[in-house]
Amino acid sequence: MSGFLLNRLSQSIVLLVIVSIIGFTVLNLMPGGPLAQFGLDPGMTQKDVERLAEQLGLNRPLWIQYLDWAWRLIQGDWGHSFRDGSSVLTVIGRHLSATLLLMGTSTALAIAIGSWIGIRGATHRYSLFDYCATVGAMVALSVPTFWFGLIGIYIFTLKLGWVPAGNMYTIGDGSVLDYLHHLILPSLVLSLVHVAIWSRYMRTATLDALSQDFIKTARAKGLSERRILLKHVVGNALLPMITLAGMQLPSILTGALVTETVFTWPGMGRLFLDSLGYSDYPVVMGLLIFSAILVVLGNLIADIVIATVDPRIRLA
Amino acid sequence: MTKRSATISNCSRRDALRMLALSGAAGLIAPNLLGKPAFARTSAAKPTGRVIVGLGQEPTVFNPLMAHIEVDDGVHFSVFDALFRIDPQGVIQPNLAVEVPNQKNGGISEDGLKWRIRLREDVRWHDGKPFSAEDVKFTLELIMNPNFRSWRTAGHALVRDITVISPTEISWRMEEAFAPYLSFLTETFIVPKHILEKEANPSNAAFNQAPVGTGAFKWGKRVPGDHLELVANLEYFGEGPHIERLVFKYIPDLTVLYTQFKSGDVDLVGQPYITPDHYREAKALPNRVVTLVPRASFESFYLNLERPQFKELAVREALYAAIDKEAIIQGLYYGVPTPTETFMPKQSLYYNPNLPAHEYNLDRARKILDKAGWVPGRDGIRAKGGVRLSFANSTTSGDPLREQAQQFLQQTFAQLGVEMKISNLPAAVMWGEFWMQSQFDSVIVGSSYLIGADPDVTNRLHSRSIGAKGGRGSNNAQYANSEVDALLDRGARTFDPDARRSIYHRVQELVRRDLPFLPLYQSNAVQGQKKGISGVVPNGNTRTESWNAVAWHWAS
Amino acid sequence: MTAIAVHATPTRWWHSRAVYRFMRHHLALVGIAMITLLVLACAIGPYVLPYDSLQIDLRARFAPPLSGDHYFGTDPLGRDLAARLLMAGRVSLLVGFSAMLLSTLIGTLVGVTAGYRGGWVGAGLMRTVDGFLSYPSIFLVLALAATLRPSPVMITVIIAVTSWMETARIVEAEVRSLREREFVQAARMVGLSRRHIMFREILPNAMGPIIVAASLAVARAILLEAYISFLGYGIQPPMPSWGNMLNGAQQYLASAPWLAIIPGAAITIAVTSFNFIGDGLRDALDVRDDHI
Repeated sequence: MSGFLLNRLSQSIVLLVIVSIIGFTVLNLMPGGPLAQFGLDPGMTQKDVERLAEQLGLNRPLWIQYLDWAWRLIQGDWGHSFRDGSSVLTVIGRHLSATLLLMGTSTALAIAIGSWIGIRGATHRYSLFDYCATVGAMVALSVPTFWFGLIGIYIFTLKLGWVPAGNMYTIGDGSVLDYLHHLILPSLVLSLVHVAIWSRYMRTATLDALSQDFIKTARAKGLSERRILLKHVVGNALLPMITLAGMQLPSILTGALVTETVFTWPGMGRLFLDSLGYSDYPVVMGLLIFSAILVVLGNLIADIVIATVDPRIRLA
Repeated sequence: MTKRSATISNCSRRDALRMLALSGAAGLIAPNLLGKPAFARTSAAKPTGRVIVGLGQEPTVFNPLMAHIEVDDGVHFSVFDALFRIDPQGVIQPNLAVEVPNQKNGGISEDGLKWRIRLREDVRWHDGKPFSAEDVKFTLELIMNPNFRSWRTAGHALVRDITVISPTEISWRMEEAFAPYLSFLTETFIVPKHILEKEANPSNAAFNQAPVGTGAFKWGKRVPGDHLELVANLEYFGEGPHIERLVFKYIPDLTVLYTQFKSGDVDLVGQPYITPDHYREAKALPNRVVTLVPRASFESFYLNLERPQFKELAVREALYAAIDKEAIIQGLYYGVPTPTETFMPKQSLYYNPNLPAHEYNLDRARKILDKAGWVPGRDGIRAKGGVRLSFANSTTSGDPLREQAQQFLQQTFAQLGVEMKISNLPAAVMWGEFWMQSQFDSVIVGSSYLIGADPDVTNRLHSRSIGAKGGRGSNNAQYANSEVDALLDRGARTFDPDARRSIYHRVQELVRRDLPFLPLYQSNAVQGQKKGISGVVPNGNTRTESWNAVAWHWAS
Repeated sequence: MTAIAVHATPTRWWHSRAVYRFMRHHLALVGIAMITLLVLACAIGPYVLPYDSLQIDLRARFAPPLSGDHYFGTDPLGRDLAARLLMAGRVSLLVGFSAMLLSTLIGTLVGVTAGYRGGWVGAGLMRTVDGFLSYPSIFLVLALAATLRPSPVMITVIIAVTSWMETARIVEAEVRSLREREFVQAARMVGLSRRHIMFREILPNAMGPIIVAASLAVARAILLEAYISFLGYGIQPPMPSWGNMLNGAQQYLASAPWLAIIPGAAITIAVTSFNFIGDGLRDALDVRDDHI
């Protein structure tokens, strides 16, 4: 086990180095930069801009900037945002909860709806329901999320006036009900893709399980279909589902990006776009490293779960 | 102001009356809030209610001396005070100072080099410590501290020998006479010495996240990416504040911003205001007051004069004649902006109203080009001496109205035998070296040319200010005219407003003749607020709608 | 991550049984029909419609669908939406196809090399794949689009550069499993060159998964182009693309919803069709994909 972890760890470090080098290079190759926001200021002179560049260390050679950044990171210093001067970890932390709320709700929704559709599709294989679910899932995977969000806003906000057009809560209210009210549309939009994935997954998993011997035994013992389903099929499908969830960890950053943009949700995705828009290098790099760590973690969890479940795979 | 509103083409009579009323209110309120002598709070009433201002960008810089952008100004104006403020008429009023120094009252010496400012004695910081001349000295020195990430240093760099004469009096010497400095000081907010002097690195001080000022509102709390809240400073030395809480809400999407104003979640729409395509609808909303407020921002088709296509005046004149301003303003912008011939805002004391008027005339444009020898080649594009009349045009991507105007111009220019290629860039790329080092052919840009209300535009038009040629300013059109240079130099040294007026009138004349940029229009903000809020006075001489939140109150 | 059922016999992908199974897959047929229609419409339509996609007419702004000759209405500049939609289709489909070709090429080269060579070369290549995969791909795309001047060719390259990794992984796994097969060993013994073995012997046997991945890659490329252009970093006006037609439509959602609905529907139809086709191919070619 420890050998496996060590091996994995060294691979992960290589991965992080690659990610950070590519990220740093691409970011810095981008013309413009964090000082472009002052380009239209009538009172900022060329001199002022050059002075700021020097204070931020932007006029040093790229590789020195990178080494400096990496060295600090190793010591646990993620740097400070160019925009408001707070530490990068603080900035990420402040936006994490909003994303977790949105992702958590939509994942819960997706698992609930997706599992139901998937199991029903498997038990009623080749029925009209199954057929519609299959086609529906593929269409859902094909709809551009931002467009789906726009249509949602058009119908439910502009035409029906049921839900707000964006934001996480009303200032001054902030009750649970208020949060839920704001949460409905974005979490539904976001869960669309996940429902599609989960339902396909559950369908396959249920079909697999139904064909196994122990189910036949259970049936022979006279257990009701419902109990068989709940106990054996769902129980059996659970661990692989954790694996899938683990592999989806990184999408905390990217998964909600589009939805957060359309619904002005103050989460990590929008932080990422905003930071990119202002060329706030420390925050963008922080988010990249954060997301890479999630990838590593996600893969690790998936591996461990698989190994625990399947004794044939040995962690070595 | 009222005169100004009458010129807005499709401004209804009701609007005009409303603006009259507003500027009248300004006349009443402004002197009170700005020049009010000591021991203040006349209104015994406790501040009540809350105003939520919706903003399209997020305020993130709360130390007013650090490099920041427009949207941060609303917070600075509310939490801090400067020595002076500028009122909507462009007149400088005392704020932390007792009076505005000039050569007549002896505050500024005859040669313009010695400045002496008297300060109020009844001002306290939000933490209870008294404000004094030491804070002013500290502020001016901090700006020039080479390790501090300060904002503008122009003007401040000329200050020498700052002397604290008494806690309420300070003086300094200027390296050279520089009239605009008074205006610069209206945007230089004073920070507390007793807090910041302890910081080893003032750029990363905790103060920058929870500022302490002398202003009408104290720092409340901030939810990053969402909103920040200020609370009334009951000890404020001037009249007000009348509202208990002032909230700045960040709503990045302009449609959502408008929708929230419509639904009542936002009380007042701040920068970048209501988009012109919602103007008509917004005006009809019940219980909302929607007005056109002139901004200092000037929109132009900005040229890089070092490109061979634009070197010849005839080309610039022809392109200008080919711009159908009326169609763009009325058709695409719903009549919201005002056509203009100059960079100087119409509300300015220095605006030159006698410039030749633009006329859309494609035939004339064709004739000008024919006469100058630019003849259509085999591909239909005009050329002269091997130079094709083809160029790229860039603007910030993500501004649908401006992109529409751009495509409209592309089509008109094509009829003229001029090829314009569109190459838009995200803001963070556009306004970097591409802009500052003049790497563009042409751009469509809207920005203010003035600092405060001072007419000095050396930074934008002096040949010494060309960044691409090692200059220190942002004359990115690379415009060079020795007469303009001389006038600008003289204007910066002249304190007398009448003398300055004739100088800057002449500058505008020359720039209109040379056309380093083709003037399109002056922006008007479509500002919206709920009916019950009063005391909101627009001020085109500041960059923010929240410059006097101290006077806002809810009608009871 | 990606397990692929191995082709026991080196049959050609166009083997009649596969085609038969593919035809049996109704959805795939629907997909093909829809794509054919779309391509034909985009190819011929602009010549048939009474309006040019670039003709600005401010008097005809915001005409709703089915008003006069404007079947889909007009946009904020009074341009005919139907004409723009079809011209945009040319751009979007072309970008999608070309990006797919390019990304499949890159992915296949990397995958074959990594899978066949193995060892340090293989590990290095595959860690690079992991590295690319652990980015939010939208980050790379946006940063690159901002760095390089956006033109259709550039956008194609950018999309390809950020989406070849899946193919590489699939191919690598496939090739690795084929490497020790008898026919490969035989080829090695005969003394065929490494390049010959990689591309003439092994690659044809890995074509199934590549084709499936490619059809799904078109769908993804179209979505990605739409998103970049929607954010304003992609195809630049006045050239229309489905994505940049949506850019700005949000502003007119209340007053002119068709500006958002119509291009979005076009994207959905195209992407769905390619996904249908991909699914059909997967069944037909007997490729099992754990990605679901």
